[in-house]
Amino acid sequence: MNWISRIIGGRSDTQALAPGIAETLAHWQSLPDTDLGRAHFETRYVVLNTEATGLDLDRDRLLAVGAIGIDGGLVSPQDSYYAPLDPAPALALSNLLTFVRKAPLVVFNAAFNLGMLEPVIEDRLGVSLDGQPIDLYFLLPALFSELHGSPVRLADWMSAFGIETFQRHHALGDGWAIAQLFLAAQARGLAQGAHSPRALLELERSYRQYRRKA
Amino acid sequence: MSATAAELLVGASTDFLTHFSPFNRMEPTALSYLAQHAVLAFHSRGSAILTPEMGVPRNFYIIQRGKVQARQTGAATVTEYASLSMGAGECFPIGAISAQRPSTNAYVAVEDTFCFQITAEEFLHLMQISPAFHLFCTQYIASLLNQSRQQLQTTFSQRAAEQQTMTTPLGQLLTREPTFVAPHTRTRDALEKMNELRIGCMVIADDKQRPLGILTQSDILPRIVLAGFDLERPIGEVMTANPHQLPATSSAYDAALEMATHGVRHLLVVDADLKLKGVISERDLFALQRISLRQIRAGIENAGDVSALQRASKDIRQLALNLIAQGIGAEQLTQFISALNDALTRRIIELALDRHDLLGIDFGWFAFGSEGRHEQTLSTDQDNGIIWRCPELQEVEAVRKRLLAFAREINESLAACGFPLCKGNIMASNPELCLTLDEWKERFGDWIREPDPQALLNASIFFDFRVLYGNERLGDQLRAWLNKLSRTSTNFLRMMAANALQVPPPLGRIRDFVVEDDGTIDLKKCGARLFVDAARIIALRTGVDSSSTVQRLRQASGKMGVAAEEVSAIIDGFHFIQLLRLRSQHLETEHDADGDNRIDPEKLNELDRRILKEAFRQARKLQLRLKLDYQL
Repeated sequence: MNWISRIIGGRSDTQALAPGIAETLAHWQSLPDTDLGRAHFETRYVVLNTEATGLDLDRDRLLAVGAIGIDGGLVSPQDSYYAPLDPAPALALSNLLTFVRKAPLVVFNAAFNLGMLEPVIEDRLGVSLDGQPIDLYFLLPALFSELHGSPVRLADWMSAFGIETFQRHHALGDGWAIAQLFLAAQARGLAQGAHSPRALLELERSYRQYRRKA
Repeated sequence: MSATAAELLVGASTDFLTHFSPFNRMEPTALSYLAQHAVLAFHSRGSAILTPEMGVPRNFYIIQRGKVQARQTGAATVTEYASLSMGAGECFPIGAISAQRPSTNAYVAVEDTFCFQITAEEFLHLMQISPAFHLFCTQYIASLLNQSRQQLQTTFSQRAAEQQTMTTPLGQLLTREPTFVAPHTRTRDALEKMNELRIGCMVIADDKQRPLGILTQSDILPRIVLAGFDLERPIGEVMTANPHQLPATSSAYDAALEMATHGVRHLLVVDADLKLKGVISERDLFALQRISLRQIRAGIENAGDVSALQRASKDIRQLALNLIAQGIGAEQLTQFISALNDALTRRIIELALDRHDLLGIDFGWFAFGSEGRHEQTLSTDQDNGIIWRCPELQEVEAVRKRLLAFAREINESLAACGFPLCKGNIMASNPELCLTLDEWKERFGDWIREPDPQALLNASIFFDFRVLYGNERLGDQLRAWLNKLSRTSTNFLRMMAANALQVPPPLGRIRDFVVEDDGTIDLKKCGARLFVDAARIIALRTGVDSSSTVQRLRQASGKMGVAAEEVSAIIDGFHFIQLLRLRSQHLETEHDADGDNRIDPEKLNELDRRILKEAFRQARKLQLRLKLDYQL
């Protein structure tokens, strides 16, 4: 569950990194792990979202990444990141890591987003995001069963909360909607006694286990 | 790259804000400042966003989505709403954050709600950089002022209605404890008591306070004096037995009917156990009927002597109460009072002129101080003087002597009509204040040239002069001369300003108000006077002819290049303090105490307290202006 990062050994096909990027990575790797037991108001989460040519992990290609920090329960427009992969994918991704630091990640549909992002990061930077992200795809139905009892699409959650965004299917545009959903999730989690990232992760995990049994 | 991301999100916030007032009217730079600094937070249903207990608010909130309820938390519900629902685009708190004091409302999310927030510092900065936003906040505070005025009217119309309808229960009309004697009391003792208490009748009651009889003033002549009744004998032998009684629950109308039916002027009011509660007289019922402005005026103008004017003076007070009930603001109210007092004074002068031969003497009767400014409240003592021109071939001191005798009579008549003699002897009968035009110029000139503390104090009283009766041209000439002289006397004005700044508005750093040892604030000394003093200096500097504070500020605003809204806000603040003064005087005069301008802020309702603080802030603004102008 920790943000253990490592350089994948033996991957000789990893491109040689530009010196600036290598330094950035080294710095990022040296950052201490975030304490997942801290309360929401002491934690900076980062919503991570991707934009791809389509929804097929095998055939489609990552186009852009977007990220928004949620620090102490507040979303600030200044604490945000967006970059298309072209023309400098290594730079876009290493800057993303710098932005994220070792914050607990929040995504909507980890299978797709991280499935799209992780291979590219490993391929381009030779590092890996090894922590478990908070996946709102499962956490939201666990917390707001009165709205939707089972996992539904982002658009359904947005309409359930009346959340709008400036641009759909844009890494940052959807990220802005996800960030707002996460604010609501934090508050509901708190009301149910889940006051730390770890507690949210546990909620999500038990929801998945419960679904598997059902 | 990350700038692009921030720009996208700021753009989204901007887009949202431009759908709502006042943000859609905001200057582009101010709007972008707001959008850049606004951060988003979530408040789940039922959670408190801001409450008075949280102290001085640290954030200003704009609802992005959801619903927030503002609830009054004080003991009394003061605004027209007990609770107010707010939706997307609405923002809070405004008054609390501008004044940097705890909110008086509790703001609770009644739905899951998203709010943008900026810090208090950012809010204040936004007020500074955005005239549109500043105006919005000022107007919001002004609308609170309006609400308070409306609320004041409701209170008073209730009181007036209670007092003045003929359906009022008699029990509520009784103002004093019942006076009575036992039947075996010596008649002499009973009569002495009547005389001592100045009452029109004496009730005779048994040892359980149940009325047995009554003796009225009109019984005394036939039954006692003419009948040669022995005053040593008990009163029980001369009283009217079985007096007319009504239960305390019957109405004033019942009482009027009973009096008319039986031809009596007094009725005894008893409680359920038939115990005496008091006496209602015909006069008490008359007082219930409304007195109109026209009646009072006619009463004053036709008054043949001072005692008729005394009644008129009482009517003026009663009228003032009615006017507040009818919803008249402080400005009009003080003008009405001022107009009627002027009429009263003029009639007194006319009556005095009948007895004093002043033919050929050109004079004007001066009103100074609050009377000079048309800002009289109900308890004002006399501040007056005379300006005159000596007729040719007459000896100055001889004329002065005649004027002084004339003035003395007027001062005494005014005192008889409820305007106490001035303790500081600022009265026309004082030879120092009965001066020719040239003597006044000399006097004023001395003060301006040598502004010692006494001169400054004098200036603050006498420079607010106004000719109330007689030749107004004399006053105009003096005013024109004074404005010309003082405009060039920077040193004098500077010292006046320094003097005016000695009393700061009683605003506390920690608590809302700085109060005196007894927990009160003197609304005259620490409130109204701050406006009055500043306005006087501004008028002298800009050459405004008016002696009224409001007119001075209004007329000077153009010449000073101050925005009209800003001046309106200052004037509103001044009016509010005047209204509070009038109100406290009313409430107190009803208890037969002199209105003394003191209020206990703790006893004000939430809204009044809030606005009073706002009013004091306006005074501070005005003082700050003086400070800057004279670099004090």
